[in-house]
Amino acid sequence: MRSHSFLRLLVKEFRELLASRAFWLLLLFVGFLVGHSFITAVGLYAEMSGNGGPAALPQGLSPLDGVLVPTWGAYDLAATLLFPFVAIRMVSSEKESGALKLLLQLPGTLGSKLAAKGLVLLFAWLVAWLPGIVAVVLWHSYGGHTYAPETVNLLLGHLLRGLLSAGLGVAAAALADGAASAAIITLAFTVGTWALDFVAAGRGGFVQQLASYTPTAALRSFEQGLLRFSVVIVIVLVSCAAFVLAGIWLNIGRTIKFRLAATLVLVIVTAGVVWVGANVRASRDLSENRRNSFSAVDEAALRGVNQPLKITIFLSPEDPRLTDFEQNVLRKLRRSLDKLDVEYAASSRTGLFDSEEHYGEILYELGGQKIVERSTIEEVVLDQIYTLSGVTSPDRSGEEGFPGYPLAAQPKHAAAIFYLFWPLVVIITWWLLRATKGTKST
Amino acid sequence: MLTVEGLTKKFGSRSVLADVSFTVGAGEVLGLIGPNGAGKTTVLECLAGLLPTNSGTFKYHGNPLSARGRKETLFYVPDGILPWAQQTVKWLLTFFERLYSQAPEKLAALAGPLRLEEIARSRVATLSKGERKRVLLAVGLLTSQPLLLLDEPFDGLDLRQTRDVMTLLRSETTTGRTLFVSIHQLNDAAKVCDRLVLLNAGKRVAEGTLAELQAQANLKDGGLEEIFLALT
Repeated sequence: MRSHSFLRLLVKEFRELLASRAFWLLLLFVGFLVGHSFITAVGLYAEMSGNGGPAALPQGLSPLDGVLVPTWGAYDLAATLLFPFVAIRMVSSEKESGALKLLLQLPGTLGSKLAAKGLVLLFAWLVAWLPGIVAVVLWHSYGGHTYAPETVNLLLGHLLRGLLSAGLGVAAAALADGAASAAIITLAFTVGTWALDFVAAGRGGFVQQLASYTPTAALRSFEQGLLRFSVVIVIVLVSCAAFVLAGIWLNIGRTIKFRLAATLVLVIVTAGVVWVGANVRASRDLSENRRNSFSAVDEAALRGVNQPLKITIFLSPEDPRLTDFEQNVLRKLRRSLDKLDVEYAASSRTGLFDSEEHYGEILYELGGQKIVERSTIEEVVLDQIYTLSGVTSPDRSGEEGFPGYPLAAQPKHAAAIFYLFWPLVVIITWWLLRATKGTKST
Repeated sequence: MLTVEGLTKKFGSRSVLADVSFTVGAGEVLGLIGPNGAGKTTVLECLAGLLPTNSGTFKYHGNPLSARGRKETLFYVPDGILPWAQQTVKWLLTFFERLYSQAPEKLAALAGPLRLEEIARSRVATLSKGERKRVLLAVGLLTSQPLLLLDEPFDGLDLRQTRDVMTLLRSETTTGRTLFVSIHQLNDAAKVCDRLVLLNAGKRVAEGTLAELQAQANLKDGGLEEIFLALT
């Protein structure tokens, strides 16, 4: 396809985006969502920073957890409930109006036409980031701290989240007869992934591995300052597959039988490639407080553990001790040990009425030796692993802790910016574009 | 130029086209006529690759028409669509003009007969049926494929507009372009078409010039309406 034809298609999609009421509503509401999240987060951060709170609390306060993640959490909501409708509209309007019949005959492949839609949707998602960027700038203006690698990592997570939403929306619109049906498909998918998250908690095995790639779980690793390459690969692959699926179903000149067969092939190929991508173990801990890693001396010591380690956990999914163990130990162990097998042995969901003899125990097996421990404290667990493997426990006394960045600031001007200025900018821009370009939102 | 052989199309168990065959000659205006539900639009959409066929072959200058070849050979303008409804007419036409690298004079030449100036700043969504039809005709005439398929090009047009569009379509063939138009108004078809394909209940009933059809129907001086009634 000639590049100028692609540019013309890109311009067409851009104009269609500007004519879309869903896009302007996304911009309008995302300002309120980000504003509310930011103002609440800064206020809570100030309280925890000593503004009337316990004196010890400010130690270890991280702006990533305290401000950035909750503020940008608004985009998770937007990617779930608002952005898919922008994507759906880009396809459904052409199907319903008959424009698709013209579009399919225009120069270029269907792939290039979907690529144009994808690029414009990506642009829409980045424009919707403006309130979030303003929030980060405001935080800096209050004297707040951010750590660039973990901030960029968080933004990458939200970029991928948006890409996935765009892909799902476009695919749903291609599959469904109308926009309403497409919206139902998209929401059903989202609810399905929530259910998978719930079911997989504390289960281990394939279900847990699958659940770690749901949109919510995938974003969570970025929110924790962890860049898992497998997550990046899987989300990009699934998003691309969704666009390909859209291409299959928008090709209305093909029989339903052909499209079903092509879909089956796509699902098999995607599953295979995703499986390979999911097995990429490389990851980078980009958090400033290294929350996803053991201390440097422990990581060096763990490199001496060469035999497979099996951990059997007798804790139910809703037991807070399991959450502690997952967050503080297992997550780091999975990154540090190549040969780690985790089994969740508790049979009940809450553990409240569990009558199992071993409930609460964690069994470590390595090289034919076993140790049973109940503690979920990082140092205790590591020492047990060192004992089993015959590795000398390192001296941790020289390790420096994360200082924390307490800040008792008030969210000055934030309410005016997010609740007044941003909505006005959005509404005036929409009105001006509507008036000058002769377009009207639908 | 284009040969269609054995075109068959079913929607489920319902047969819409049954073994339809005809040829389109270079530089002619070929009319596809028949009553509502005869399968005219289905023929055009199958030809354009927008509907899968159950069987049938399309040959362009004797060679099978591939998907890519189809895109380079023909362009189909559907009836009753509302493309990119929130954009202005001017933008829509300029989009097609530039996409197909047409000289600005081409659009200017269409503006008069299709009375595009008066609706240029209007949004497509606000156009009347006739205005929409004129815009869609302009869209089709701005493309560059040698074969243009038009579904009901006169539907929604008044008498004067119909006459102007007929003149415009005839002049289009002088540039070497071939037109294949579906028309349910037989009087209009007789005025603008060089040859005709009669379709009834998904079957090709007859094909030829008006004189040839008169001969087939044994109606010397008979109009198209009489011929159609005699043959179906």
